[in-house]
Amino acid sequence: MKTPLESFIDFKAETDKQCGNYSIELPVLQDNEQYRFHFDAIACIGCRCCEVACNEQNNNPADIKWRRVGEMEGGEFPYTTQLFNSMSCNHCIDPECLKGCPTNSYIKLDNGIVFHNDDVCIGCQYCTWNCPYEVPTFHEERNIVTKCHMCHERLEVGQSPACVQACPSGAIEIEAVNVEEWLDGDIDTQGNMPNLTDARVSNSTTRYTLPQELPEELNSADEHHLKPFHKELPLVFMTVLTQISLGAFLALFLGTLLSNIGFEEPNFLMAIAVVVPAALGLPLSALHLGRPFMALSAMKNYKTSWLSREAILLGVFTILMSANTVLYFLEVPIFTRTLFEFITLVIGVAGIYSQSKIYMLAARPSWNRRTTMLKFFSTGYIGLFLIALISLMTQNHTASISLLALSMMIAVVHGFFSYEDRRDLYNHKINKEPIAKTLRLYNEYFPIYTKVRVTTFILGALALPLFVTILVGAGEYSNAIIILAISLIIMSVSEFIDRMLFYATSTCLGMAGSFFVGRQR
Amino acid sequence: MISKLKDFLGFDIKAEKYKLSSDPQFGMISDYKKPDKWVFSTCGYCGVGCGLYIGVKDGKAVYTKGNPTHSVNKGTLCPKGLSEHQLINSPDRISEPKIDGKDVTWNEAFKKTSDTFKRVAQEKGSKSVAIISTGQLLTEEFYALGKFAQLGLKTNNFDGNTTLCMASAVAGYKQSFGSDGPPSSYEDFEYADMIILVGANIADNHPILKLHINKNKKKPFIVVIDPRVSKTAQMADLFIPINPRTDLALFNTLAYIILEQGWENTEYITASTNGLSDLKKHLQDYPPQEVSNITGIEVETLYELARQFVKAPAALSAWTMGVNQSALGTDTVSAIVNLHLLTGQIGRVGTGPFSITGQCNAMGSRESSFTSSLPGYRPFGDEEVAREYAELVNVPVELVPTERGYKYAEIIDAIDRGEIKALWIIATNPLVSFVNQKKLRSALKKLDILVVQDAFMSDTALEADVIFPAATWGEKEGTYTNSERRCNKANRAVEPFGNSKSDFAIFLEFSGYFGFKDLIYPSWSEPKDAFEEFKRVTKNQLCDYSAMSYKLIEELKGIQWPCNEASPKGTARLYSENMPFSTPNKKANLLCVEWLPLASDVCKAFPLMLNTGRTVEQWHTRTKTKSIAILDDLAPEAWVELNPKDAQILEVKSGDRIALSSINGRVENVIVKVTQKVKDGSVFVPFHFNTELVNTLTNSEFCPKSGEPNFKQSAIQLHSIKVPEGIKISEAEVSVQLVHQKVEELNIVIKDKEATL
Repeated sequence: MKTPLESFIDFKAETDKQCGNYSIELPVLQDNEQYRFHFDAIACIGCRCCEVACNEQNNNPADIKWRRVGEMEGGEFPYTTQLFNSMSCNHCIDPECLKGCPTNSYIKLDNGIVFHNDDVCIGCQYCTWNCPYEVPTFHEERNIVTKCHMCHERLEVGQSPACVQACPSGAIEIEAVNVEEWLDGDIDTQGNMPNLTDARVSNSTTRYTLPQELPEELNSADEHHLKPFHKELPLVFMTVLTQISLGAFLALFLGTLLSNIGFEEPNFLMAIAVVVPAALGLPLSALHLGRPFMALSAMKNYKTSWLSREAILLGVFTILMSANTVLYFLEVPIFTRTLFEFITLVIGVAGIYSQSKIYMLAARPSWNRRTTMLKFFSTGYIGLFLIALISLMTQNHTASISLLALSMMIAVVHGFFSYEDRRDLYNHKINKEPIAKTLRLYNEYFPIYTKVRVTTFILGALALPLFVTILVGAGEYSNAIIILAISLIIMSVSEFIDRMLFYATSTCLGMAGSFFVGRQR
Repeated sequence: MISKLKDFLGFDIKAEKYKLSSDPQFGMISDYKKPDKWVFSTCGYCGVGCGLYIGVKDGKAVYTKGNPTHSVNKGTLCPKGLSEHQLINSPDRISEPKIDGKDVTWNEAFKKTSDTFKRVAQEKGSKSVAIISTGQLLTEEFYALGKFAQLGLKTNNFDGNTTLCMASAVAGYKQSFGSDGPPSSYEDFEYADMIILVGANIADNHPILKLHINKNKKKPFIVVIDPRVSKTAQMADLFIPINPRTDLALFNTLAYIILEQGWENTEYITASTNGLSDLKKHLQDYPPQEVSNITGIEVETLYELARQFVKAPAALSAWTMGVNQSALGTDTVSAIVNLHLLTGQIGRVGTGPFSITGQCNAMGSRESSFTSSLPGYRPFGDEEVAREYAELVNVPVELVPTERGYKYAEIIDAIDRGEIKALWIIATNPLVSFVNQKKLRSALKKLDILVVQDAFMSDTALEADVIFPAATWGEKEGTYTNSERRCNKANRAVEPFGNSKSDFAIFLEFSGYFGFKDLIYPSWSEPKDAFEEFKRVTKNQLCDYSAMSYKLIEELKGIQWPCNEASPKGTARLYSENMPFSTPNKKANLLCVEWLPLASDVCKAFPLMLNTGRTVEQWHTRTKTKSIAILDDLAPEAWVELNPKDAQILEVKSGDRIALSSINGRVENVIVKVTQKVKDGSVFVPFHFNTELVNTLTNSEFCPKSGEPNFKQSAIQLHSIKVPEGIKISEAEVSVQLVHQKVEELNIVIKDKEATL
């Protein structure tokens, strides 16, 4: 008896299709060509063979889907159109996953396949944020991210990818694409699918065949779904705490600067206080990794990944801040310290800048807004309050008054940015759908958190500090210290909640989902 | 502790578990579940009958792969098929025989059951023991069971869930052709110029058939007729949103148009059919204008459809439950057949009235199981036939039943009346699948004994007094016949789960407790023995197995009967030029079949029409699929499809919960899916789910000829939280419907008068 593989030649002669057979005849790639998927939405009947075949092929558990089928509907009965989109990885020409990966775990193979190197992945999941199609998925059991690689092990030996083989409609095919021609324009006419991220975002290679006439509006079957994104608690603490450190360090630096012209110098305790939040926060971030023991390798891809840059810069920032405490301890000349702190501050600013750039992602419209970066910097107001508190505690009252004033000013600015951030969601012009979902998450899923956030902010960052200023003015120092300490806790809680909401309300560009499982992400 | 810590720190990425390695047959596959061997078999889900291999590793089924050399599926499988090995290891499998929920030995279970059966038979007659079986056993098992029931237990109150499924197709073929037997082949999808899919959502239920349509190089004109814009409707060149349960009127008027226009194939009609003149007269009641009102299809479309059908060199009509599950099911099948006979669209490549079966071996049960006919399509009630069968299998002719017993629903009624006291249910789950659940459940309580033989702890098994744990697909050997009459081989890949036994073994052993083993199973020990006898039984019958052998079936990847000396490799289609029909004069009957409105149409109290059906991810009552996470996640509960207009009235949106009620009961808390797939006034709910048991609501009308329930149309009301009283329809809307009914009644009255004249 012929093995299924041996029957290939007869099979192909008879069916002229890639589907069904376990073997595949691929075009030899010419210069500037790569493999890609072709999906024929006219042929697809939404049977989900491809989804199941993919999981069976790769031994993936049911909740790790490398290939997903989305459902859309438009028109009016009986002229109803149902459209399906079966999608795995689009093996982009400019893969966002690859650019963002801090450990260089993504490799664009010569044949165009975007391949994930499991061994060096640390499970930071940054690619799952970066990909505008939500393709990479974190595999909890494995502690790493995994994704479709077009069954490259099969392709290499002339065997069909599982999805291609399984489709009874022949709707999924592998073909060669000339990258230049594709980018010259075909991508705009054949690379797009309704309710899917524009192919130009990362120069997706998947070619779509769509019905001639599609209704103007096609609704995803998962429109009613409202699922918050991960709360990312380690990152909530890490980002807020490092930002506090930067704010505090700014206060420290300003003090040092002013001490050059005769004002009182910042003290050792302050130098210690500025390090503590960052020193606590940075290691915490490793907890969100699938493989914390490999955390340091996050610095590998400083060439293209903002995450690597953040890791390096904030790491250096924290080391320099620690070194700075030694300078205080050794009481080195003030000029040297000014210079040293200036360099540290620049690195800190660069660090928080990189940190905010991490979230400036085309794939994540609610993050990808001006206010994200502004807020990341202005969150530092807490740091200024912190130094104000230490000034009070170390009886440096003049400094404390000016610091309190400055802190409150920045807090007001931060409040304004926060307001602006929310208001913008209502008027956002592009990516309306994901932004609307973010709003719904705020209003329908997290209304209480939002209220708590606003109340604690007004109380902790504005009302109480104002009261503290009055107390300081009245010479009630010990009460001022207690109340400022309390307000520090309240404002920190407020910012932690705000940051948690920042993550939990994040929505992504991507594909249409299905009724029960949504986008399966 | 250390391993937990190591895992937390991410030392292990389980690379071994997720790597691939090369398999000599299927290439690079998951190394973790790379089989030691691949076992040739056939899928055990639907009636398509796909060829596959079961991968076995360390005695466990780990993979299912489509057989690329199998003509049915060419290597593809649907999502259920692709994950089929998982059902064998389901947590719902039953490993031990049980009495009143407690584990017992097989001997105890057999003893208790046989004692009760004997007592009931003695007290109330042998026919007070009834059996309801399935479409999912192997043909050998059906044949063994049929003999057990009819010749052993001497009860003809024996039916299958196939009566809920394709009984109307059987009865329709019988009255039109003189015998059951779908005439076409899947290959006809590849060569047809026109394909009508009526009441058939193949995209969800038989996705692999798309493969054959796909291979059709002629770009066939595809017509989909369905009240709902199903996934299948997307394939259509012409989609016809027909009013629910009006298809018979549609096919009658198409015949009217063909005759009116003189488009009929006179040559074929004269040579091969009976009854043209009666039909002509009868069809006068179905003028297109009238039928347009009934069906909601424009007159122009009706003419276009008829024209296309006649114009097409080869036209194929395929249907499933939309046609069968109707109180007019049998006659609707005959109306479709009429159309093919009038135009000669039958017996040639790419033609035929083709019923697609639901279950993997519904066809096998039709051929062998002694429910609606004697084995081998032999009719009941013919002495000569009975004697012939008795001689073939060497039993006294008095044992051969002379008539069919109660059909499925009649058995339930008889239990309710107290006439039947013992029920043996095999591989079916009426507590989800049967209509009017309230009545069914109260009836079953009146039994002296309920025996359930199943591989899974189904809802019905949970209610059983005695459970016989059965082996399932992949654990036993035999044959399945698919929709195109292809007899396929299923093989044992792994040992039966726990202490379960194959249904075949159960029948053989259990027969010993009644003392008729030697009579009905003379020296049988394995399925092959039944197969050999069945070959003798079918010789010279339409479903002729006589030239088949297990080896040949595997070699040819299934054989389409009739398979005999004249056609040793099987027959692709029935009723080709040299094959006569099975009627007395060897001609097919053109039948005068009458459309009637629904007895319980929508009304003020129940103004919406409920349609039920399936989704691709689930199989029937989910006994097999609910534990397969990848399938169940995609459709974990039932939903109500509701048109935006009705949703607006009820003030609900997708994701909200709603209650449904009908005259038979109420179902709470079903999730709403607002969609343009259904017309306003119509709703759709899948029937798979015991959690949202939609058969609580369904209509208890039945087709008088086939006994098939009218599953597809039930009048219901919806109750949302904001609008608990539901949808109100105006007097005008009700009266429009009444006018329709009146016109119909009037027609009938007039016809009655003509008859008396």
